[in-house]
Amino acid sequence: MNVVTRGVKNAVRSPLKSGAIVLMFAISIALILSMLVARGSVLAKIDDVKANAGTAITISPAGVMGDQGGGDPLTAAQIATIASTANVSSVTSSLTDQMTTADTNLTSSLTLGSFGARQQRSAPTDTTGADPTATQTTRPAPTPRISVTGTTDANSVSTTGGTLTISSGTAIDGNSSSSVALVGTTLATKNNLAVGSTFTAYGQTVTVQGIYTTGNAFQDSGIIMPLATVQTLTGQPGAVSSVSAKVNSSDNVASTVTALKTALGDKADITSQAEQAATSVTSLEGIASLTLAGVIAAAAAGALIVLLAMILVVRERRREIGVIKAIGGSNGKVIGQFIVEGLTITVIGAVIGLVLGILVSGPMTTSLVSNSQNSTSTSTSTTGRGGRGGFGGGFASAQSQLNTNLTQVTASLTPQIFLAAVGITLLIALLGSAIPAWLTARIRPAEVLRTE
Amino acid sequence: MLTVENVSKTFNTPGGQVQALKDVNLSVKTGEFVSIIGKSGSGKSTLLSILGALDNPSTGSIIVDDTEINKLSGGNQTQYRAKKIGFVFQQYNLVPNLTALENVMLALEFGGYPASSRLDRASQLLESVGIEEDQQQRRPTRLSGGQQQRVSIARALANQPAYILADEPTGNLDSATGKKIFDLLHDLSRSQKTTIIVVTHDLEIAGKTDRTFTLKDGKITTK
Ligand SMILES: Nc1ncnc2c1ncn2[C@@H]1O[C@H](COP(=O)(O)OP(=O)(O)OP(=O)(O)O)[C@@H](O)[C@H]1O
Ligand SMILES: [Mg+2]
Repeated sequence: MNVVTRGVKNAVRSPLKSGAIVLMFAISIALILSMLVARGSVLAKIDDVKANAGTAITISPAGVMGDQGGGDPLTAAQIATIASTANVSSVTSSLTDQMTTADTNLTSSLTLGSFGARQQRSAPTDTTGADPTATQTTRPAPTPRISVTGTTDANSVSTTGGTLTISSGTAIDGNSSSSVALVGTTLATKNNLAVGSTFTAYGQTVTVQGIYTTGNAFQDSGIIMPLATVQTLTGQPGAVSSVSAKVNSSDNVASTVTALKTALGDKADITSQAEQAATSVTSLEGIASLTLAGVIAAAAAGALIVLLAMILVVRERRREIGVIKAIGGSNGKVIGQFIVEGLTITVIGAVIGLVLGILVSGPMTTSLVSNSQNSTSTSTSTTGRGGRGGFGGGFASAQSQLNTNLTQVTASLTPQIFLAAVGITLLIALLGSAIPAWLTARIRPAEVLRTE
Repeated sequence: MLTVENVSKTFNTPGGQVQALKDVNLSVKTGEFVSIIGKSGSGKSTLLSILGALDNPSTGSIIVDDTEINKLSGGNQTQYRAKKIGFVFQQYNLVPNLTALENVMLALEFGGYPASSRLDRASQLLESVGIEEDQQQRRPTRLSGGQQQRVSIARALANQPAYILADEPTGNLDSATGKKIFDLLHDLSRSQKTTIIVVTHDLEIAGKTDRTFTLKDGKITTK
């Protein structure tokens, strides 16, 4: 018999009472662990999303998105301003247009469908009169149009964000002004175009220099030409409908966006992938702070459970403590005995709690994330509106990829998280045992004479 | 030799101050068997707790074998209780979670008795007060009042204390059992030369002791 065996023996003195304390403590420890796991996984995901968000900033003329909306295109002077903004490492400018049957001898490879028909319902009356139906109806019958993208970098059309896949022929120089074009694979097939073929666009003869494939039906039915060529052909010298600026480092994206907004004022709409990523991770950040609150609450509850239970035990045994002191037991031995008793209960509770925590942390993380993602995907889908046309395509796909990433938060119990949980548990256990044990020092040995 | 000099004890209660002991003076020789009698509330238990360093007097001093115990530090008072004093309480006051044997071994542990021989000594002590082997393994709740009091006497004797302080040791027992317990204490004082101070309200018991002190309203009236 010594202090330790007495403490352990007292811990199992009333199994029902100790069992209840162990169970409550175990539940709070399980909560602490699973909250820590959820937090760790969500934080890792946030970092991941932010790190992979990219450094592209998209600048469109105010009110314009792809070929839709209205307003004046960006001017050469504005492009120069963008290019000279601090931290902007490269600038890709594009001008998109749509060719009607009057503009080209090519046939669109897209079927108009009800969506395309609706898009054209308010198109202006064809003034060329080339459409035979135009003279008979106030509004021309809608025809599928061919999308033309003039860009300084053909790779910007790539839906993957990487290099545009040229299936035959060679890439074009976006900075030239020659009458050459890259033709989308489905458009090329529809019109029997091959490298070296020519077609008419805006009354000019254009040579096919290459065929590209993106796997995107919209992109693959379009034409890519150097920016200057499209500007000349469409009679819009210097005009640009979309600019993609690359920032030298992801840390500078936010400041560059601010700088561009100041420089361009209300003439342009500016969006960045990083900003969109930040918006899409707000729900994850919400979960992260929620789980932190959860950890604190569970730890406080756990500490309180042990503390109150042990204080009750000490009060209940005042007389017994008095006896031990009266027959020569020192304060140290009494305190030691109660610390051992408290630790026995908490260690058993902690072991059960940690096992329980390992079991529930996975499902808990999944349910926390998927519940909040249901609301996120509805909110982000409005910003990630598909089919913006031209340049918007790549951006939209990056957005949707981001959304799928967000739901793929996997709960991972790292050794650090486990150690943190064990550390918190030990701290609670020690506090919860030591404080009540300390109270025994104040019990006077004369307590023993009190008749109850 | 135990000397009490001008001891007073005042308790602060919500209802005001209670003076439990008023200028008590007494002296007990080594090996003497004395009794303290007095009405309920006269201060008997208070005096005994001060003699055993369970509590300190408000004023005055208690000198035990040349040591003024009321001036000792808390730790030294604990040592004094562990080594010099054996307590026997009216309520027995055994530790409920421990067996009879373990209760005696607990006192041996506090008295610094070597761990290896505690079991033998405890068993022997219990045997000597008439607690059989199977009863030694029982917890206090499974023993009769008389048996519990005998265990508590064995516990008080564990470290061969120079003084045994017994606060109404037979108060909760029938007169036959009470007599047995008293005889046990009496034998001890004869055989071990242990100084025994017993509080009682049983005048018959008091009459058998070497000397009787009477307390009245916190004052010693007879010696
Ligand atoms: N801790 C205390 N706080 C306040 N008053 C106390 C305390 N202990 C004892 N007293 C008071 O001191 C007086 C003496 O009490 P004490 O217990 O010494 O009496 P007693 O002679 O042992 O009586 P009994 O025969 O009933 O055991 C009583 O008036 C009691 O109420
Ligand atoms: Mg009393």
